[in-house]
Amino acid sequence: MRLLRRIAHWARARVHRDDLEGELAFHREMVERDLIARGMSPHAARLAARRAMGNETVSREDARSVWVWWWLDALRQDAAYTVRSLRASPGFTLAVVLTLALGLGANAAMFAVVDRVLFRAPPHLIDPDATHRVYLYRTSEGIEAERSGQYARYADLARWTSSFSQVAAVREQQLPVGTGDATRELPIGIVTASLFGFFDAPPALGRYFSAAEDTPPAGASVAVLSDAAWKAQYGGRRDVIGSTFVIGASRYTIIGVAPAGFVGLWPERPPAAFIPMSAYGPTTGTNLWWSSYGHAIGLSMIVRVKPGVSTAAATADLTTALRRSYQNQIDVELPHAGLTLGSLRPRAVVASILSERGPEASSFARVALWLSGVALIVLFIACANVANLLLARTLERRREIAVRLALGVGRARLTGQLILEGVALAALGGVAGVLSAAGTSSAMQRLFLPGDVAPRVLTDPRTALFALGITLAVGVAAGIGPALSVGHQNLTADLKAGAREGTYQHSRLRGMLLLVQAALSVVLLIGAGLFVRSLRHVQQVPLGFDAKPVLVVDLDMRGVALDSAHLVALHQRLLAAALGTPGVEHATLMKTVPFEGIMSWPLFVAGIDSVDRLGEFDLNAVSPDYFATIGTRILRGRGVEPSDGPHAAPVMVVGAAMARALWPNENPIGRCVRIWSVTAPCTTVVGEAEDVRTHSLGDETGYYYYYLPVAQTAPDYIGLFVRARDAQRTIGAIERRLQAQMPGPSYVTVRPLLDVVSDQMRAWTVGADAFTALGGLALGMAALGLYSVIAYGVAQRRHELGVRVALGAQTADIARLVVGESVRFAGTGLGIGACVSVAATHWLAPLLFHESPRDPVVFGVAGLVLIAAAIAASWIPARRAARVDPTSAIRSG
Amino acid sequence: MKTAAELLPGTLDLIVLRTLVRGPMHGYGIAQRVKEISKDVLHVGESSLYPALQRLLLDGYVKAEWGASENNRRARFYTLTAAGRRQLASEREEFERIVGAIHAVLRFA
Repeated sequence: MRLLRRIAHWARARVHRDDLEGELAFHREMVERDLIARGMSPHAARLAARRAMGNETVSREDARSVWVWWWLDALRQDAAYTVRSLRASPGFTLAVVLTLALGLGANAAMFAVVDRVLFRAPPHLIDPDATHRVYLYRTSEGIEAERSGQYARYADLARWTSSFSQVAAVREQQLPVGTGDATRELPIGIVTASLFGFFDAPPALGRYFSAAEDTPPAGASVAVLSDAAWKAQYGGRRDVIGSTFVIGASRYTIIGVAPAGFVGLWPERPPAAFIPMSAYGPTTGTNLWWSSYGHAIGLSMIVRVKPGVSTAAATADLTTALRRSYQNQIDVELPHAGLTLGSLRPRAVVASILSERGPEASSFARVALWLSGVALIVLFIACANVANLLLARTLERRREIAVRLALGVGRARLTGQLILEGVALAALGGVAGVLSAAGTSSAMQRLFLPGDVAPRVLTDPRTALFALGITLAVGVAAGIGPALSVGHQNLTADLKAGAREGTYQHSRLRGMLLLVQAALSVVLLIGAGLFVRSLRHVQQVPLGFDAKPVLVVDLDMRGVALDSAHLVALHQRLLAAALGTPGVEHATLMKTVPFEGIMSWPLFVAGIDSVDRLGEFDLNAVSPDYFATIGTRILRGRGVEPSDGPHAAPVMVVGAAMARALWPNENPIGRCVRIWSVTAPCTTVVGEAEDVRTHSLGDETGYYYYYLPVAQTAPDYIGLFVRARDAQRTIGAIERRLQAQMPGPSYVTVRPLLDVVSDQMRAWTVGADAFTALGGLALGMAALGLYSVIAYGVAQRRHELGVRVALGAQTADIARLVVGESVRFAGTGLGIGACVSVAATHWLAPLLFHESPRDPVVFGVAGLVLIAAAIAASWIPARRAARVDPTSAIRSG
Repeated sequence: MKTAAELLPGTLDLIVLRTLVRGPMHGYGIAQRVKEISKDVLHVGESSLYPALQRLLLDGYVKAEWGASENNRRARFYTLTAAGRRQLASEREEFERIVGAIHAVLRFA
């Protein structure tokens, strides 16, 4: 009750103050009136009343103190004092706030990314800790690989395990939605009906589909819209239930709308709609999609472990079921393949529900974690910097603080005030930082999560809490140095000391902070250098084709069935339409895109026991203009020619590495290769092309590539490459012209080949960009810190420098003195940083590309940059020092 | 002239509460009343009266309202609350017990 009244009083402090003042004024008036009534003159009465009342301020304060806790009042006073003192030095405040804003902003933004990728369960998920994603492995030719995605396998595992209370199969895929020009590729959640049971998210409208509607071989064509799609495409109308729309090649009836925030398992790319797994299955090309082990439809298995069952027990249970499933597959489908469980070694793992975490963190997650560490280092540097600036300020204020102590301010109170100052600065920095993080988060998202929803910084409670937490921590950390220095302040000495005796003294704490900053900046600069060099190496990898001027055209027939003759005719029309587009130089049909998909057929070559044992032979089927389109050079013989028609003799062009592997030191032209079977007719090698990268930018061995005339293969899986003078600007025109040729709901998409290549470089691009940005930030901060320390030192040593000049020191001597100090700091920091970097190379090496983590060039450049920054930072103070006028400096002391 | 006596410690609240039993009163009125009734023996100074009133407000023993004084000036009137009455009764009992004890000691010791 008292507490409530206190709070109410505090909230209405102004009213209460007025009440008290009015009351006391009334009292005085009454006293005055009484005195007049007793015969005093009004003037004398007023004075007498004043005297009688005593010190009114004290009465008022006493009355007020009944209500307000003294410490709260003290805090308010300290806060006001802090604001005044910060306002008095705007330059200092700005430097500190900016430094902290950069450090805190970078961390808040990184946290938003890492949290979503690695720590946050999908919204509405019940008991995320008991929910897992299942990973399946089997060994083939001695190499263990993940192999999953079949519905038959999922059904076996669901049937033969007992550790799980719930199981579901899920897949998210971009599918064409809508018809005609309104067709859009949207992410669609393809899920078993059981998935909805994993969530506490009753539908906002209608219902979810039931197990009866999701039963193989063919489920009901029903769909549940996401809240976002419902609002965006149907204006949130309630009569949407029962209406239909086209996904892929089928028409679906809307039976429900998911609640807001429900995104299934895909927060980074929320599905527009959810459809039954068994409605999607039949569209993957076979009616056996659900029963054949050979048919993978890319599903993942989600399980909820029963209470009391350990992860290890669940994994064992799952592995037993997986072995049984493989045995069943061998018995039913592959009785003569000679496969045994012993060689397949099937293994199942239950791991985090978050796919980036998986059984082991994805490379993306690793890079993100690395960068969080780096961002933390930057924050550390910022912290050291601010502590340094505050410390410098405290030293400057030594006399002021000594006076306040002498006047009776408690040390505790003073310490509190200094920490408050740190927290206030951090809070300002935090606000600015979070605002800037909100701005940069879209940039971060482009860098890290292309195609994803940007992580929210401002509106996300977890990120906001994190930002608040680190802001407070940084504030206390920054304020504690100065606060501690108050502890052992020698009052009398400080009070007596004039400027002459100099409050200048080397502070060991400041020096150490400076060294730490310099060392950490060196580490980051070296990291940046290593990544930039890696990126340069990656970019210089010869691809064997030109990515920049080439566009990829994908065809999606979307259920439109054409016979071979019509397909061939369609492809020719598309080729002609592409070539007829202004700006297009060459165009070709193709079946595979480098880095994206492969096609591999068994090959037989006379004199070689098993071609397969040499490695993987991938093919592309191309039309005559292929090599001119993509820019791969023909080294020997010829490319594919128009004469290589369906009825002409079969021919192929082989890559140089393939030629070397099959016929070492011999001319491959004219050789015979049999495809599919040892009895097939000869396919004659007519040309040798330069090698192309098809799998990765790293060292790839054991991958070989060859080309067949597209006219001599089945007309399926066809796409186009188009070479244009200004590829980026021609995309729209090509898309329109080609779309005009497409029958029914089928459609084309056009994209730059460069995107495919850039994806391959992403890890290094991200590393180089982020390390360079953060390294630059760190360097800037270290330079600022160095500047503040040196400038402060010069200001404090004015007297000493004046004496030196008076004794005959030259301008250059003084400048050397000042710059030398700065460079010494940097040099020591450099040494420490280099040692740390060398020690850290072990962890960094796997992230680099053809780059030694001890590259002397990188270390050298990083060192030079730091020394240059040190000289630059001390330049202005040095000039100021050199211009010290001895007479005024000595006299003013 | 004899100077006004200091109040016994802890009795100010009791006196203020007792004064208010007769009805709402403003601060000045309370001070005057105490002076009158005690025949100028007890003086309640402003510097202790107003903090005491704030304390009573905080404890919820009195309520304060702005109203018109006898000479039509705006004044803040204090009224005893039910809790205030209870507090008065118990404080008074306690006070009389102690005063009685002191009397007894003074007489017979």
